[in-house]
Amino acid sequence: MHELAMAESILNAVIEKSEENHANEVIEVIIEIGKMTMLNGEQIIFMLEVLSEDTMANGAKFIVEEIPIEVKCLGCGFDGKLGSDDLDPYTPLPKCPKCGNLKVNVKNGKDLIVKNIVIDKQSKL
Amino acid sequence: MHKVADIDVQHNITKANKKIADRITKKLNDSNIFGVDFVGAIGSGKTSLIEELIQRMDGNIGVIAGDVISKFDAGRFKKFNIPVVGLNTGKECHLDAHLVEHAIEDMPLDNIDYLLVENVGNLICPVDFDLGSHIRVVVISVSEGDDTVEKHPLIFQSADLVIINKVDIAGAVEADVGKMVNDVKVLNPDVEVIKTSLKKEIGLSNVINAIDRFKKRMDL
Ligand SMILES: Nc1nc2c(ncn2[C@@H]2O[C@H](COP(=O)(O)OP(=O)(O)OP(=O)(O)O)[C@@H](O)[C@H]2O)c(=O)[nH]1
Ligand SMILES: [Mg+2]
Ligand SMILES: [Zn+2]
Repeated sequence: MHELAMAESILNAVIEKSEENHANEVIEVIIEIGKMTMLNGEQIIFMLEVLSEDTMANGAKFIVEEIPIEVKCLGCGFDGKLGSDDLDPYTPLPKCPKCGNLKVNVKNGKDLIVKNIVIDKQSKL
Repeated sequence: MHKVADIDVQHNITKANKKIADRITKKLNDSNIFGVDFVGAIGSGKTSLIEELIQRMDGNIGVIAGDVISKFDAGRFKKFNIPVVGLNTGKECHLDAHLVEHAIEDMPLDNIDYLLVENVGNLICPVDFDLGSHIRVVVISVSEGDDTVEKHPLIFQSADLVIINKVDIAGAVEADVGKMVNDVKVLNPDVEVIKTSLKKEIGLSNVINAIDRFKKRMDL
């Protein structure tokens, strides 16, 4: 997968937001990874640690939270989360856990989000 | 004085790509251009198919060729004297909307009717990256094995048109083409599946007709 490219995008967003807020150091970053993206959170954290070395995010704690897949079944109307057993890790094809229908709307779990950062900023005083 | 601040960022990287893709679609619509994204396995025949389309389709064609080293595929298109922009994808496993948006800046939009985009040969990574094209054509071939579809369901669910190429060698590689068609239909019941041999010129007119039906439906 494209963990490296995604880690670069995450870091860019983090640095941009930190600069906007006059940070001199990034302390913590919380990232949400939807299960449908098939991105490997541990790999992303490792790459962020390496990529951030020469930036103000050097040494920051990177935390990954998983977003479960939520579907609405167009067959039986099931509306809810998929459990981890409902998905084959190699071919994460979402299907209705109740009736097995493949026609489902994926309502959640597709996104990669930089959710929150904690920064240290120099106050003007 | 140091001060620690907790900042709610909510930067959605997936949606950021989609936003750019929507911008591309609008740009194509404004210029009356029909955009087609070609994705598929490595070596399945994406470049060969686009080469045939360039020679056979009515209307002017521009091509964006994403390739590990873009001079290879882009070079094959340039010999037709059409506008071609090559994108060096290097280690990247997919094109994203940002790359395509920049490539479009170098396209003479007033002079083309179709924009054909060849993605990097990969059946997994391009799934999540909308490039703003109007339709996605997934090109696979029998030589990847007749279990390709089952192994990569998401890309087939995202397809508007599926091409199964190299049917001329199906016997030699013992691939069951009927099974491949069935597997696609299970995942995406309404999608049109076309069997082609670019070597033996089988199925090409079906592909051209299918693309033009989509184009007409979009009123472009
Ligand atoms: N037998 C046979 N060979 C084909 C057919 N179509 C393409 N080929 C051959 O398959 C090889 C790969 O074709 P390309 O068109 O370069 O494939 P591609 O999908 O663009 O490859 P990448 O961009 O590298 O992923 C070439 O040697 C083609 O001549 C076909 O219908 N039958
Ligand atoms: Mg090619
Ligand atoms: Zn259901």
